[in-house]
Amino acid sequence: MLEGYTDKIIQKHSEGRREGEYEAVDVDFVLLPDPTFALLLSELKDLGGRIWDKEKVFVTVDHFAPPSTIERANIAKAVISFAKNEALPHQSIYQGICHQLLIEGPWLRPGMLVLGADSHTTTAGALGCLATGMGSTDILYTLVTGKTWLRPPKAVRIDLMGKLPPYIMGKDIILDLLGRFGEGGFRYQALEFYDDGGVLSMDDRFAICNMVVEGGAKNGLFAPDQVTKNYLEERDGHSNHWEKSSREDFHYTQELKVDLSSLKPKVALPHSPAHAVTVEEVKGEAIDQVFIGSCTGGRLRDLELTARILKKRKVASGIRLLITPASQKIYQEAMEKGYLQVILEAGGVILNPSCGLCGGIDKGILAAGEKCVSTSNRNFQGRMGDPSSRIYLVSPLTAAASALAGRIIDPREVM
Amino acid sequence: MGLRKRITGRAWKLGDHINTDILHPSPYFSLNETRVKEGLVEGMERLGTDAKKDSSDEGIIIVAGENFGCGSSRETSVRGLRSFGVKGVVAASFARIFFRSLANLGLPALECRDIQEQVRDGELLLLSVEEGWIELADKRRFPFSPIDGHIQKILEAGGLIPYLQKERGKG
Repeated sequence: MLEGYTDKIIQKHSEGRREGEYEAVDVDFVLLPDPTFALLLSELKDLGGRIWDKEKVFVTVDHFAPPSTIERANIAKAVISFAKNEALPHQSIYQGICHQLLIEGPWLRPGMLVLGADSHTTTAGALGCLATGMGSTDILYTLVTGKTWLRPPKAVRIDLMGKLPPYIMGKDIILDLLGRFGEGGFRYQALEFYDDGGVLSMDDRFAICNMVVEGGAKNGLFAPDQVTKNYLEERDGHSNHWEKSSREDFHYTQELKVDLSSLKPKVALPHSPAHAVTVEEVKGEAIDQVFIGSCTGGRLRDLELTARILKKRKVASGIRLLITPASQKIYQEAMEKGYLQVILEAGGVILNPSCGLCGGIDKGILAAGEKCVSTSNRNFQGRMGDPSSRIYLVSPLTAAASALAGRIIDPREVM
Repeated sequence: MGLRKRITGRAWKLGDHINTDILHPSPYFSLNETRVKEGLVEGMERLGTDAKKDSSDEGIIIVAGENFGCGSSRETSVRGLRSFGVKGVVAASFARIFFRSLANLGLPALECRDIQEQVRDGELLLLSVEEGWIELADKRRFPFSPIDGHIQKILEAGGLIPYLQKERGKG
């Protein structure tokens, strides 16, 4: 019996070749962000330089966007030149973070097998795909062959149940799970989420799937439902069809239930995304900077809720509030809806969509000993700057509330 | 290239949940090998290991704890290890992207839960990939988990790209 959607997708894409525990599978789509794509370019040329299907790859310049050093400019240039010379049909320069652009684009549908040269490729699982990240050499193999070798993972069914409180976001849900199961708690597993009540927005689902990798999971996905269907219809401007599977088809290794109504806002303390406690427990912790953005927490709903908290208020004196919308599209929508105006009036600084701040690449780098509240996905030591700086991962609601207070506070205090 | 049946090296000991951001900080992401190597030195310094700053002729065998290599997929972390002279990596368990990248670049990634407490930083280790054991300086041997058949083939080829070239040759 099939273990779940992930197993079903692997079987559907299997070539029937097996070596050890690994199965050769056909890949539907590959995401190629600038640094990790640049790392494989010379070897790709050595292998003949031919991508198996140009329609099935998407190149983004989003990490070095725009570049902040000469070396990064040269890396970005190598990627831009390759995409241009090969006339790759799907490419983007500075239009947003790859994981957001991948789900905004017209390519992905439930049931697809998607790889990316970036660990947060798991984000796309929210559309019902098997989406996972790999290193550059694995991706090179796929670019040449159109295939990869996968070890079919054990699957965990996670039912999200009950009423969703207005102060709880997808980020709180995944931090709660990471806190309970630990940084390696889901190693090699597929996490399959069921939101039968349809209470979570796609943006919350993206945030959850984005961070399953912080628990070691191979992939995370949401069972496709009406929320997925609505998202795809709005994205594509027409109705979408896919094969629906009932729960009886699957036999999960493990099943979990999450009672959403009992969740409290969460914060992951330095230096692990799994070091999660309730915000109440660290209430009052002084901070220097607040970052709202990234492929985890820079979507339209994140900015909408940020604006709702900041409306007619001011960021605390001395606190730097930095915002990066996850894509130009989100940037524009947030502008049209007035969210950016509210953020600016509150004292926030808006940066262009890129991976820069979250990855410690450029802008907003933390100085020695500084503390930053962030809606991103990783608070590893030195991730955003000096090795002695400290990062606290929270939801956009908690981040916005903390920016007002100048210390970590529960968003319920200002809602 | 191909898999060396026996590997000797000085132990570099690391703890649990060592992520690739600390092992190889992102400012050192580069296409330049020297720069990538510098990143590993910086990472080792942040991790507080007694790692020598120069590559060792004897080779290095990493001995890490649980979930080694979690976090970012940036392969520069593994490339840094390789160019620094790391010949093999033993861990209680591996994060999946990192595990694949090690094998893909021809470095044996071996699971063994029993030696973390036993190994001293800098001690000379002997590793038999073929026979499945790791030997400490005091000659005690510990078995590691069997290597998967697919991973074995990649290692024998010397990495995923030589494996691909073999595959193509057959095709």
